[in-house]
Amino acid sequence: MSMLRGSSTSDGLLTLFEESGRNVERTGSLLRELLDDFPERSSLARDILICEQEGDRITHDIIQRLNQTFVTPIDREDIYELASALDDIVDYTEEVADYLGLYKIEAPMEQAQRLAHILLQSCRQVSEAMPRLRTFKDISHYTVEINRLENDGDRTVREAVASLFDNGIDPMVVIRWKDLFERLEEAIDSTERAANILEGVMIKNR
Amino acid sequence: MQESQRALSAVAPASVPNVTGVRVQPGPIRLAVIDTDSGFVRVLAKRVGEMGWQHRVLTAPPRAEDLLSMRLHALIVDLALLGSSGWEFLEQVCDSVPGLGVIVCTGSSSVAQRVRGLRIGADDWITKPCHPQEVIARVEAVVRRRKRSTPGTTEDAPLLAGELEIRADQFQAFVGGQSIDLTRREFELLHLLAKARGRVLERDEIYQHVWGYAMVHGDRSVDVFVRKVRQKVERFSPGWTYIHTHFGIGYRFEPEAPEDEPPESPADPLANASEEVESSA
Repeated sequence: MSMLRGSSTSDGLLTLFEESGRNVERTGSLLRELLDDFPERSSLARDILICEQEGDRITHDIIQRLNQTFVTPIDREDIYELASALDDIVDYTEEVADYLGLYKIEAPMEQAQRLAHILLQSCRQVSEAMPRLRTFKDISHYTVEINRLENDGDRTVREAVASLFDNGIDPMVVIRWKDLFERLEEAIDSTERAANILEGVMIKNR
Repeated sequence: MQESQRALSAVAPASVPNVTGVRVQPGPIRLAVIDTDSGFVRVLAKRVGEMGWQHRVLTAPPRAEDLLSMRLHALIVDLALLGSSGWEFLEQVCDSVPGLGVIVCTGSSSVAQRVRGLRIGADDWITKPCHPQEVIARVEAVVRRRKRSTPGTTEDAPLLAGELEIRADQFQAFVGGQSIDLTRREFELLHLLAKARGRVLERDEIYQHVWGYAMVHGDRSVDVFVRKVRQKVERFSPGWTYIHTHFGIGYRFEPEAPEDEPPESPADPLANASEEVESSA
C-alpha cells in the first residue's frame, strides 16, 4: 500500500497521526508539570482534560477518514490499533490528573513524579517517531528507548506499590495511590504498545 | 499483628498530640485492648462502644511506634497473653509512650508481680475475673489522672515565637491579633514544630504525629504542608523565618528576625503566656 503514500487521503491520515503524537507529548508534559508543582498548579488538570478531548477528536477524525478511504497508506487494522493506543496514552494520563482531584490528594509522591518524568520521555519518543510513518524509516532507536523506559516504569511502580504496604500506613493512602500508580503504569504501557504497532507497520512496509 | 478494629482508625484524630503522644483535648476516650479472652473483650467492647469510645482490640502486642500512631488515651493489656515477654513489653510501652494510661488486666497474680508491674509504669492492675463496668471506671480514672497531671494549661496556652502567637485552644496562629487562616492540619504541623523549638524533627516523625500514620517512603505531604504554612506565615509576618529546612532530614522551628530588626531576646524562648502572667503577678 505504500505506493499511495503521496495521495491527499494518506497525507491527511499521516498528518493526523503526527498531530496525535504532539498531543500525546503535550499531555505528558502537562502531567509532569502538574505533579512536579502539585498542588500549586492543580489547574493544569483542566488543560490535560482539553488535551484528552483533543485526542478524542483526532481519533474520531482518523476513523472517519479511514471509513471514507478505500485504499489506505498502511493496513486498516494497524491504523485502528495505532489510533487507539495513542488515545489510550492520553486517556490514562488524563485519568491520573483527574484522580488527583477526585481522591483529594494533598501532596504528590516522589515515585509518582518519577513516573510522570518517565511517561513524558516515552511520549516524546512516540511523538518523534510518528513522522517516520511517511518514509517507513527504521524506528528501532525509538522503540528500544521506549522499551527501556517502560521497564524503568515497571520497576518504579512495583517499588512504589510495595512501599504502600509497609506497616502502619493509612489505608486510604494505600487505596488512592495504588490506583494512581496503576494508571501511570497503564499510560506508560500504552506508549510501548503504540511503539510496537509502529514498529510492526515499519517492518511490513519496508 | 492480628486485630479486630471497631472504630479507631475510621475517626479523624480528635486532638492534637504533643511530641510525647500525650492527649489533652477532651473528646471520646481512645482505648486499645490487648487480650484474647473473647467473652471479656466482646462485653467490654460493646459497653465502651455504647459510651462512644473509640476502641481497638489487638490479639498480639503492637510495636511502640504503632501504639503511638493510634493516638490512644489508654491501653488495657493482659500480660498472661504475652508470656515471658510481657514485662519487657510493659516497660517498653511505659517508656516510649509516657502519656498513655496503661492498665494491666490479667488473671491471678502474686503481690510481687503486681508491685513489679506498677513500678515499671502501669497505672493500674485489675485481676480477672472482673466486671467490665469496673474496668471502664478504672480506665476513666486513669485518663482523668493523666489529664490532671499533664500540664494541660501548658498545652493549651498560647506559644509566642517572633511575631507569631500559636493558640492551641483555637487551632490557629495569629500575628498582631490577626488570624493567619491555617487549616487544621497546617496548624497541627506548626504547633508540633513550635513545641519542639530548636530541635530538628524528621519528616517521618512529623507525619506520624500530624497524620497519625506511618509515612510512605516518598510521600511529600510534610514538604507540601510546610510550604503552605510558610506562605501563610510570610504573608502576615514578612521577613521573619520560622521554619528551617534540614535537607534530607526534616524541619526545625526557630524564629529569626529580619536582618534589619533586632533579634528576639534570648530571654524570651517560646514564651508561654500563662507563665508570663504568673511571673509578672
